[in-house]
Amino acid sequence: MLKLPGMRGANPKLSRRQVLGIAAGGVAGAVGFRYLTMQLPGGSPAVASAAGAGGAWTSPLGTPAGLAAHLLRRATFGYTAAELDAAALMSYTDLVDMVVSQEPQPLPQVADPTSYQAVVRAWYGHMATTTAQFPERMTLFWHGLLTSDYRKAARLPLVLQQNELYRTSGRGDFRTLINAVTFDPLMIRYLDLEESTAAAPNENYSRELMELFTLGVGNYTETDVREGARAFSGIRTDLVDASGSRIQPPRVKGSTPAAYTQALDQLLAQGATFKGILARNQHDAGAKTFLGHSGNLDPAQALDIILSQPACAPHIARSALVQFCTPDPSPQLINSVATQFRSSNYDIKTLMRAVFTNEAFTTPSAFRSLVRGPAEFMVATMRALNRPGLAATCVQSGAGMDQILYDMPTVAGWPSNQGWVSSGAWLARLNFAAGAVAGQHSLPDPIDAVHTQLDGVVGPDTAAVFNASMSDTDRWYALLASPEFQLK
Amino acid sequence: MITRRDFMVSGITATGVGIIVPPVFAKSVFAATMEDVHNDHVLVILQLGGGNDGLNTAVPFADPAYLQSRPTIGIPADKVLPLNGAIGLNPVMPGIKKLFDAGELALVQGVGYPNPVYSHFEGLYIWEHADPTMQQTEGWLGRVLASQLDAQGHPLTGCALGQASTPAELLAQNATVSVIDSVPAYQVQGGAGRRVAAPALYKRTPGIYGALFDQALSTAEYGIAALADSQTRYTPSVTYTPQSTVYGSKNSLATSLQLTAEMIVTQPSVKICHVVLGGFDTHQDEDARQNALLAYVDSAVSAFMQDIANHGMADRVVLMTWSEFGRRVAENGGKGTDHGAAAPVFVVGKPVKGGVFGEQPSLTSTVDSGNLKYNVDFRSVYQTLIRDWLQADPTSVLGATFPELPIIQTA
Repeated sequence: MLKLPGMRGANPKLSRRQVLGIAAGGVAGAVGFRYLTMQLPGGSPAVASAAGAGGAWTSPLGTPAGLAAHLLRRATFGYTAAELDAAALMSYTDLVDMVVSQEPQPLPQVADPTSYQAVVRAWYGHMATTTAQFPERMTLFWHGLLTSDYRKAARLPLVLQQNELYRTSGRGDFRTLINAVTFDPLMIRYLDLEESTAAAPNENYSRELMELFTLGVGNYTETDVREGARAFSGIRTDLVDASGSRIQPPRVKGSTPAAYTQALDQLLAQGATFKGILARNQHDAGAKTFLGHSGNLDPAQALDIILSQPACAPHIARSALVQFCTPDPSPQLINSVATQFRSSNYDIKTLMRAVFTNEAFTTPSAFRSLVRGPAEFMVATMRALNRPGLAATCVQSGAGMDQILYDMPTVAGWPSNQGWVSSGAWLARLNFAAGAVAGQHSLPDPIDAVHTQLDGVVGPDTAAVFNASMSDTDRWYALLASPEFQLK
Repeated sequence: MITRRDFMVSGITATGVGIIVPPVFAKSVFAATMEDVHNDHVLVILQLGGGNDGLNTAVPFADPAYLQSRPTIGIPADKVLPLNGAIGLNPVMPGIKKLFDAGELALVQGVGYPNPVYSHFEGLYIWEHADPTMQQTEGWLGRVLASQLDAQGHPLTGCALGQASTPAELLAQNATVSVIDSVPAYQVQGGAGRRVAAPALYKRTPGIYGALFDQALSTAEYGIAALADSQTRYTPSVTYTPQSTVYGSKNSLATSLQLTAEMIVTQPSVKICHVVLGGFDTHQDEDARQNALLAYVDSAVSAFMQDIANHGMADRVVLMTWSEFGRRVAENGGKGTDHGAAAPVFVVGKPVKGGVFGEQPSLTSTVDSGNLKYNVDFRSVYQTLIRDWLQADPTSVLGATFPELPIIQTA
């Protein structure tokens, strides 16, 4: 009667038991946590609901193992039982250090780097398989903040290049990142920098850089937008060879896609790369007054001025907190995290360490207080099932959930948390779960998964549907389609 | 089919981390008869996302400052489709011109709000919430739905069609919205077992998102059944042209409007429908891009209005367009225009009193170095549609009164 289904077999999954044992071990005020071990007729194992008082989830965050699972759900795209076991044995601060110190693994070769769908498919596959999870999660974070649109890449491999930039530079310092973004060929096209001349500076990048990427509305004037546009005028994209000399890209006009791709591939194979440069003859080198600073400002100087503004660190801190910590961060929390970020001279690891270690992150009520975005949900599904092959379907499936990578609804990026919830988007999630388990005969043990993926904390509906399921396929559907699995 | 939506009320308690997620209150049984709905009027909202350039949509062709400000993208006077001696439509909009000639288009000029900010995000927020101070947290149509049209919480009273997320205009604590991207996708896939399991997973979800999640699923469950019924009772009477090649647009407007017609024709509870076409942020190559988008709007809206009329429902439907801002008077160096301020609003339908309303803002006496001064507060349009078309109380929704526009026919 008291044998735990999740514990069967010779392998002592002690740390997982710790995860389960948390609530049973006595979270203050928690009631109703049980992991019942009834055997239903027919031998189906059953799980019991573990909703706490007042309709809240019973939080496992009061224990180190519960906290480890909580961190991994947010800082990564999900985990295997073995990864969770290892994490649960570490002290929390060591675990945070280990996570934020991970070095990225390069994206595997993309067969057709000029196809954004091929790049996104490869990225989904990489998110699902790389052991360097945190750098991938940060790549997605920066993509959501420093946005882009694949359409502007035309048939150049610029989506791949920006994706690599966020992967390699997404955990260093923000000054380096935002300078690189300003000269990133896809960004140059997306926000119309390539059209911007000294004679007619285009305001698009100047405005969105300050409004959405760094400062927020109210922290600059319309004059700053115009003066900033002058400072960012003259940025162009070159194709350069391995020695850095400018070369001619292949012509799109009059070429077939195959011939074009072949010609471009040949150049790229010889070491050619796209590179943003400042064309001095197109740049307005005159005197400007920008955010209270005067001088013959160029892009790097304008960016330094932006980063010297008191609004910059809080703007980025808030964005990170909403994605990783709490849906509605208090001004005090934002300021605390921003202060650490700013005083580290915009070190992104310091930012994320502050996000992961503050009390709003670790407090018991933070359990399941964020909604997984569609990409997070789909990758977590792939990781839970060990089915990275589903990456082929993610581009299409994401559309119904309102997230297509490199295809933002607006330059402000995607919604977050409750903004993801709609009747149609939820059907799309459930249907992705159905497709993920359909026809699968060698699924991992779903009872184990209730422990590892859902911390053994399930609501009454999920428990009922899970317990009524007649097959592991159905049990996995209940788990992946459940409200619990949509949360982090 | 859902007849009772017994949402958890207690699951929405504060959790001590300062989270603000609107609780969805338990609602009473939805009655098949819409007790508090006193007419069969439908309002369709067409959002032109990205900031549509009003000056190249309704062209002030008689003003020499127009072509002077736009030497490369300006539309010459002999090309426009004139509505009067001063204003003409972009030549790609013959269908809208036909509606004007039939007295079914009210063009409201110079619509905007005080102290424009030129930001997509703020412009959207202000129009979506009907609040230039950005204090209001619920969408203006969500407030109309929740307070006046949808006290019973009918899942189809508010519909967002051809999109995957709830438009902010329709978001409100007590507003229920069906968000239907496409009919084939609006299903529980995977077989009969999944169709039972999916809604059963979302009845009493704990936690701060519990009621929101449960409402999404119960809304979907109701809508799926309604669509199955609609599909058997509606056939489009015109050919909608699905077009996926329009530069920058994120969805197929014609398909969305066809679905809108289907919902209106077959589901009497539908009151407010929202569709959107993106891609209007024309910082460069505006001539080609905006013309492609407006031509698509023209064909899709014309087909929709004709389809509605053919189904004998022309008296029931009014369509309004809006965009978060118009664009700068002068073109920039890339054959485009930067973010601006006031722009025209189109109100279309047989119940509309046709004509040109409001005053075209001056192209030379501008605000913030080259932006149009608004003459009509956008809330005047909202107020008129709430009062004269939806026959509800605008003051409780808008919190103030604005000059009324005589754009809806009185019986």
